[in-house]
Amino acid sequence: MRTLPAAVRTALATTITAVGLTATLPAQTASTNDLDALREQIRLLDQKLRILERNQELRQETAAADAKKQPKLNVGDGRVEVVSADGANSLRLRGLVQGDARLYLDDANAAQDGFVLRRARLIFEGKFSDIFQYTIQPEFGGTVQILDANINAAFKPGFQVRVGRFKTPIGLEQLQSDPVAFFNERSVVTNLTPNRDVGIQVHGDVLTNRLNYAVGVFNGVLDGGNSPTTNLNNEGDFTVAARLFATPWANDKESKLKGLGFGIAAGTGNYKAGVPLNPYRTDGQQNFFAYRSAVGSTTVADGTATTISPQAYFYSGPLGILAEYVSSSAELTNGANSRKLTNTGFNLSVGYVLTGEESSYKGVTPNTNFSLNKGTWGAFEVVTRVAQVDIDDDAFAGGGTSLAAAGTNATEVTTYGVGLNWYLSKAIRANFDIFSNKFDFQGARPATGALSDNELAFISRIQVSF
Amino acid sequence: MKFKSLFTLLAAVAITGSALAKDIELLNVSYDPTRELYVEYNAAFAKYWKAKTGDNVVIKQSHGGSGKQARSVIDGLKADVVTLALANDVSALNKVANLIPANWQERLPLGSAPYTSTIVFLVRKSSPFAGKVKDWNDLAQPGIAVITPNPKTSGGAQWNYLAAWEYGRRNYGSDEKAQEFVANIYKNVPVLDSGARGATTTFVQRQIGDVFISWENEAFLAVKEFGADKFEIVVPSVSILAQPTVSVVDKVVKKKGTEEVAKAYLEYLYSDEAQDIIGKNYYRPTSEAAKAKYAASFPKVELFTIDEAFGGWTKAAATHFADGGTFDQIYLKK
Repeated sequence: MRTLPAAVRTALATTITAVGLTATLPAQTASTNDLDALREQIRLLDQKLRILERNQELRQETAAADAKKQPKLNVGDGRVEVVSADGANSLRLRGLVQGDARLYLDDANAAQDGFVLRRARLIFEGKFSDIFQYTIQPEFGGTVQILDANINAAFKPGFQVRVGRFKTPIGLEQLQSDPVAFFNERSVVTNLTPNRDVGIQVHGDVLTNRLNYAVGVFNGVLDGGNSPTTNLNNEGDFTVAARLFATPWANDKESKLKGLGFGIAAGTGNYKAGVPLNPYRTDGQQNFFAYRSAVGSTTVADGTATTISPQAYFYSGPLGILAEYVSSSAELTNGANSRKLTNTGFNLSVGYVLTGEESSYKGVTPNTNFSLNKGTWGAFEVVTRVAQVDIDDDAFAGGGTSLAAAGTNATEVTTYGVGLNWYLSKAIRANFDIFSNKFDFQGARPATGALSDNELAFISRIQVSF
Repeated sequence: MKFKSLFTLLAAVAITGSALAKDIELLNVSYDPTRELYVEYNAAFAKYWKAKTGDNVVIKQSHGGSGKQARSVIDGLKADVVTLALANDVSALNKVANLIPANWQERLPLGSAPYTSTIVFLVRKSSPFAGKVKDWNDLAQPGIAVITPNPKTSGGAQWNYLAAWEYGRRNYGSDEKAQEFVANIYKNVPVLDSGARGATTTFVQRQIGDVFISWENEAFLAVKEFGADKFEIVVPSVSILAQPTVSVVDKVVKKKGTEEVAKAYLEYLYSDEAQDIIGKNYYRPTSEAAKAKYAASFPKVELFTIDEAFGGWTKAAATHFADGGTFDQIYLKK
């Protein structure tokens, strides 16, 4: 076998190798280009993905920031509220509807049985500029009227100024909101404390909420009454009312006395004819005492009237106790018969929440709402009270010009009440109350009318308060 | 006995002095990238104020896009002072809400601009465009991803926009061509953050984009924090002299009783100590001493002012950033 010269073989091998190498080069170049193209494609895809994620993140940030600027609408069991994003302005719509069924078990009042729309109120509350709060509360049940219309400027918790129509700061139970009181009617002692009046009041919580004070100047209103929205014939005199109420252990969570509050309230003013002298009512809302109002023999205010009320409450867990004493004196005239009367009264009410929820001056919040599906029943509370109003005997002195007629008015009423409150939710409550009102008279008991028998009333109520 | 009396007297004086010392709180509403600057400056000022008056001053900071921050103050944010990215945002406090007087810029030296800055490029070294970005025109090339914030909300973004516009006008001969040029840059912007710090996050942390049009100090901070191996600062042939401005918010300080300390807070920005802090934080100082000290830190670049190129902020804002202005024409079409 002939072999190629070494030089030729070397040259050939070199050539073949070169050719081979040359032949593989395009393939290698192509694969490198592909790889670079793939890398670039991956880079671009990675960028696209990052861009999408970042833009989504920015959209979420913008949405979150925008959400913070939007007014908040809070709708829940007990409130419908619109609040500005910064919380400085708000409008809260509240309401109160109370439907009563009254059943009188005594002979004298059986004819009064029936259903009553006791209260029907729309309450507008709110604030603006973080400082100014307002309340407008019209009453549609019974006489349509504006109950509350006032502005409160809360410069500091300890220095607030309220102007308009609102409750006079005297009666403890009178100052308590209707829907959260132990019974469906306040005790007879509230006949002796003024209700709503028009004026200006400075008030606040001081000593880290251990002391609440209120002092106000008002047009003036007598026992149990609401002042009209216009001034009365008081010859330019104003009524001054003030109240101090201490809760010394309120901040001590461990103290057994943290729910103890006590205080004193007083009001005094000069009153003239034209100021209404309101009748006094029983728990069953029947009149048991009224001043003379017949033509030619009308009793009118004619001088100074003063109300003093020491008061206290104690709440501890499910237990609540509320007590107050009231002395209400007024100079009155009927013709030539002018006298200063001092009527007094007290109220002691006790409540106990059977289902364990905390009792408080602001009411009971059930741990569960009534629901047949869930098998929950809300909260139950048993309540009891004893109260009394004693009319000054001088009211009946003076014969035909006595300030009040002895034959048709009680000189004293002592009331006992027991009840069961069922809190179906924070907003809905049902009450079942039995009231016994025992009357005393200067002479014989009237033969006819509401006072011809002691009052025994069963009053039930369904209430929606939000 | 003498010593005891003297000690008692000194103790009483000390107790009385500390009892009289006031605790003051200021709110400085600033723009996005000034966080680090004001953290350092606030500590220095608090120390200075304590030594001068005995009062303790705590300065709270709020940061965001300059335009957004101005809007917040107009809407009720109780700023004692504003230290915003541009004069137009501060002027809005006068024009929209009358919170400051119209002559606010005359109340402090140098038109109430205690420091300046400019706009540069931060280029990602791993980008295929690394080494290919030298000037503004390179940002308009197809395929490149440019990060810049939204001029509607960010002062820094407005400086960026106007710098690009002026480059376009100088190089292409007219405002129409400049608008076309700037539109081509914005075609390459995939993400519009509301502020400069957000844009820095997008570019640096989220690793989006090839080049970031950046405040000079932000670019320096990014390189310092993440390394020169990752980013390169590119200085364009021409850029804008950015003049962030400061003002006391008169209506707020009068109501809060902080007028004296708020004024002092801004005046102290011109002090040697503050100017040194400014230089240290990569803002261009205005005092001669600090300028000389930090001259080597800042690249040489031909700078033009907004007054020279655009006839002032009021005119520039109306033309470019008002609703329906050139930015809207460019970006809403995108």
